[in-house]
Amino acid sequence: MSKMSSLFRTRKKKIYCLDDDLFYLAMKENCSFHYKHNKDYKTLLDRMHFSPEDINSYEDLEKIPPLPTLYFKHHNLLSLKSNRYWVKATSSGTSGKNVSLIGLTFTDLLRGWDMVRRVFSYHHLWSLRPHRYIVFGYEPHKGNDKAIAKTAHGFTFLSPALSKDYAIRWTKDGYKVDLDNLEKKFIKYSKGKTPIRTLGFPAYTYFLLEQMKAKGIKLKLPKGSVISLGGGWKSFYKEKVDKQVFYDLAYEVLGVDDKHIFEFFGAVEHPILYTDCRYHHFHIPNYARVIIRDVETLKPLKPGQVGLINLLTPMSVGTPILSVMTDDLGILHEEICPCGEKSVYLEILGRSGVEDIKTCAAGAEELLKGDKS
Amino acid sequence: MILYKGEIYPNEKQDKLISSLKEDMYLTLEKGESLSYLTVIDACDKLYKRVINHEFDNIALPLLKSLNMPYSSLERYAKVFSKEGLLKKIDIELGDLKNGLLSLDENNNRYYEPLGILFHIAAGNVDLLPAYSVVEGLLVGNINILKLPTGDNGLSILLLKELIKEAPVLKDYIYVFDVPSTEVETIKQLSSFADATIVWGGDEAQKAARAFVDIHSSIISWGHKISFSYVDNNVTDQEIMDLCKSICLSNQLFCSSSQGIYLNTNDIDELHRLAKRALPIFVKVSKEMNTLPLTMKAKNSLLLYNDKLEGNVDNIYQDGGVSVVVKEDHKLELSYLFQNIWIKPLIKEEIVNVLKPNKNLLQTVSINKNIKDKEGITRLLAKAGATRIVSLGDNSRMLAGESHDGEYALRCYIRIVEVIK
Repeated sequence: MSKMSSLFRTRKKKIYCLDDDLFYLAMKENCSFHYKHNKDYKTLLDRMHFSPEDINSYEDLEKIPPLPTLYFKHHNLLSLKSNRYWVKATSSGTSGKNVSLIGLTFTDLLRGWDMVRRVFSYHHLWSLRPHRYIVFGYEPHKGNDKAIAKTAHGFTFLSPALSKDYAIRWTKDGYKVDLDNLEKKFIKYSKGKTPIRTLGFPAYTYFLLEQMKAKGIKLKLPKGSVISLGGGWKSFYKEKVDKQVFYDLAYEVLGVDDKHIFEFFGAVEHPILYTDCRYHHFHIPNYARVIIRDVETLKPLKPGQVGLINLLTPMSVGTPILSVMTDDLGILHEEICPCGEKSVYLEILGRSGVEDIKTCAAGAEELLKGDKS
Repeated sequence: MILYKGEIYPNEKQDKLISSLKEDMYLTLEKGESLSYLTVIDACDKLYKRVINHEFDNIALPLLKSLNMPYSSLERYAKVFSKEGLLKKIDIELGDLKNGLLSLDENNNRYYEPLGILFHIAAGNVDLLPAYSVVEGLLVGNINILKLPTGDNGLSILLLKELIKEAPVLKDYIYVFDVPSTEVETIKQLSSFADATIVWGGDEAQKAARAFVDIHSSIISWGHKISFSYVDNNVTDQEIMDLCKSICLSNQLFCSSSQGIYLNTNDIDELHRLAKRALPIFVKVSKEMNTLPLTMKAKNSLLLYNDKLEGNVDNIYQDGGVSVVVKEDHKLELSYLFQNIWIKPLIKEEIVNVLKPNKNLLQTVSINKNIKDKEGITRLLAKAGATRIVSLGDNSRMLAGESHDGEYALRCYIRIVEVIK
């Protein structure tokens, strides 16, 4: 078995115990694979004077040239022939252009499955008990390749689903946000006994909770209900609220305490499932590593320092996503977490680039919004 | 918030107030009175003095801090509201017309009338701009409806309310609504009341205005512009430093901010020499001025790193979060903003050919003082479409009485009436 597959079969109990030796070998294997099979990736590494042979220890992983998410938006970097891909997913670009295309092979999906089933099992999210699903995201539709839509849909299979309702519904005029419908469903379902599970964009969840609070609606969701969040605040970054404010609001409106609120983190260019712990920390799972890089020099920083988040995983042979530079700023914490997990945890501070900049330079608004980058 | 006849109302009153707006404005017009520019200037000057006497520091200081601007910037911008500044503007823009009735020939006179009602769709790019746009309309006697930009911080309403306090007669000439841009029908309705709709903002705002402005109401566009520097090898280190200071002060966000430097040469090696000269100066100025936010520094690094991955390894000079990028093409383009400039070749003989296609976008060009054939070069830059040719470092200077992108706003807000003697 390849080192890559071994890594993704990390036993459930060991998910947050980092095996650096295995990770380094899997990364070297993955880097060599893409270097051999992907001409564009080879050219890129050659241009940056790097070869997989340079990876001789865990410490050498930081030398692998990280590819910015922007690079994936400009280039099709698939490593294999088209018929090898079982899934092609795109990032959630709002304009339909400027999105990353990531292709996953059957082997990649198997590794992903190994990871997902263990992580969900670890966090006790599998259940035989039926649930009602309320998704603060896209209703599935054949034309929607966004990874966030696919993962949200996948989430509704964690237990038998009695119903599935979506915040962004497919209509004859395309996708439309319909929070009022979800408000009605919450009120209706709260009167029953079947637990509810929500998943999706925190912004839409927050907007609906605020809307319900303004109307004086206070519910108590059935026992066992869970609120889960994923996908980030996206263009609603200005409305982003402190986590505790969100938890207090959820308790006030839905009667769900923060022990039953989960947050997930991942990206199409880094399809690793990060799930927050009881203390809402994103511990690094054995399938991935995080390097925080200096915003000026891009050199690795020590834990506790703010910088750009560089995500590493040897998951995919379909696309060279082994070292991806996000445009998010974050901090790695090595303090001991009361939850007992040993691995360091990542705090995501927000996106680089201040998007509410005021400008009158021609074309600058589009550039800052990322439409021109 | 809404400002209507000098009173502040909550946004919930919008529909009710708009339903009486037309009638109220027409009542003002029917009185047949003229608003004197002296009344407006007097009120502005009193307000200006209150601003520079620190009466509004509780609002101004946090605003300046958020923009990383020194107090001197506020004094400079506020000065456009001073008596001296506004009288000069009237003198220059209206000329003889300011004197009232003028003779056209032995049987006819001529004078200016305000257009009547102006609808200002303000952009949020400069916090004082919405209020300034209204003041321009007032100076020539117009009634002004202002649609606040999205995310307005309340400064415009505050200033205009204070202006009305200084000259209560102005309450009949100022109406401010906080209508979201998505409320197209309301915006259409406001526009239908106006003789002219004044649109500030980029291409998207201008395009949207064309779609909704009433056929019988004209559009006066103040669109976004692009500016740059043009130098030869005589440029001094001091001038490069002055340019870097103006770049760091504005973070290249103004229409007047320099996005890059054209060098009068065909020799690519000279571009690299200039880049190597400019970078340490740029880094020093950037560190001293400390106006580059961490998040933008991160964005810059990512964009430049991505460029390197895409093969542009040898043309990027970067340090300390700022960069100078050598490009061999001539295209006038935006930089990455936030203290990133490009350097491109452009010989004098090619100025018109390269720049003229950007005719409606050009604004300020800063040049070195001892540039060879200064007169010839400034003439060519003007022929290509530039409206301000200034010294390096002066890209974003503001002078009382200067034109707005080559036009006099007050002239756009009036019409000439000819009348028999």
